[in-house]
Amino acid sequence: QNILIGCFSVGYSAVALNHVIDFKEKKQEIIKPVSPSELFPSLPIVQGTSKRIKVLTRLTLIVSDPSHCNLLRSTSANIRLYDIIAVFPKTEKLFHIACTTLDVDLVCINVTEKLPFYFRRPPVNMAIDRGIYFELLYSPAIKDSTMRRYTISNAISLMQICKGKNIVISSAAERPLELRGPYDVANLGLLFGLSEGEAKAAVSSNCRAAMLHGETRKSACGVVYTVKKLRKVEEEETAVPACKKAKTQA
Amino acid sequence: MVRFKNRYVLCEVVSEDPRCRQCIEDRALGLAVRDAIARVHGDYGLACCSISFTVKYLNAYTGTVLLRCRKDSCRLLCSALPFVRHLESRAQRYPCFLNTLHVGGTIRTCQKFLIQYNRTQLLRLLQTCTNEEERQCIQKSLLSCSLTEEQPQSGDEEEDDGTE
Repeated sequence: QNILIGCFSVGYSAVALNHVIDFKEKKQEIIKPVSPSELFPSLPIVQGTSKRIKVLTRLTLIVSDPSHCNLLRSTSANIRLYDIIAVFPKTEKLFHIACTTLDVDLVCINVTEKLPFYFRRPPVNMAIDRGIYFELLYSPAIKDSTMRRYTISNAISLMQICKGKNIVISSAAERPLELRGPYDVANLGLLFGLSEGEAKAAVSSNCRAAMLHGETRKSACGVVYTVKKLRKVEEEETAVPACKKAKTQA
Repeated sequence: MVRFKNRYVLCEVVSEDPRCRQCIEDRALGLAVRDAIARVHGDYGLACCSISFTVKYLNAYTGTVLLRCRKDSCRLLCSALPFVRHLESRAQRYPCFLNTLHVGGTIRTCQKFLIQYNRTQLLRLLQTCTNEEERQCIQKSLLSCSLTEEQPQSGDEEEDDGTE
């Protein structure tokens, strides 16, 4: 993993993007209480454009059963330590639940085998409204040819439903050589059926938005609501929104 | 005016093995890229891309590669570049990957970008070298490079690459 970090910093700093590149550490645990992950004792690495690389922690839950979702709510003490939470639904029901009610930032889309369910528009639209991003992995595609086919077919079917919005492309690299630079990943997005602008966004701004979504989720729910109210509050508002604001700020 | 428009793709070969960089050859690289295109886009893609496909420039010290292709097949080429996994040369396989830096319409724009990029790389490398003597060494060699250059265009690039 330390090798991964070294090469992440070499790979991404070589491209010298101006915003902070995030490193997402994936820890997959099934039906086990989530242990607080320790950020490995790495020094903050200075990037090419004199900004430091952020290292975030991320948790992915592979759910094949609705009872697994209770993990999200119950062991909240451990989950708070993760910056980003992603869920990997295996059935259609779970996909629906994940898009509509679960408190996650990313929904992983399976790329290694043919999807057992088709995407439907209502849950996908609800997820887009809630600010949940769909995630595609690209390192199986680099490794194996049959995986590549599944990746592309799943990705294109997702695109057709969601029209390319709210997509994040990430790598599940296990070795430093499975990594690709941001420009290359954006070009991969073209293969998945995204347009050029969408593909670049999938690498840069969507990732950043998912990060922020995770941050707002980590802090109290009230903060989110406060921001919403602030936009609407004007001078001649009635007393009702004012006391709502007071309640949430408390 | 009828003119064939080309796109020049600037890439960097990144590898863990330090020997890999010294053994980069233009033929081996061209074969690896063509193979990746064939795997991803099939026969049609390979045929489209190899109309005017060459490796224009190769720098073994920094691992910089400049590829040329037709403007229409630039997308095919760029989307297939992430799938290059290893280079084969002299019966040895080196796992590596290509990092796309810049796509330009002419060699001159790519060269400009490369000069800027090498400058930032140099700064970054200077930061990582901790020894004061190393720093002095590098600075000296830099200065000596720029003093002896006679042709600004071709010497510009070499001055930055020579200190790698």
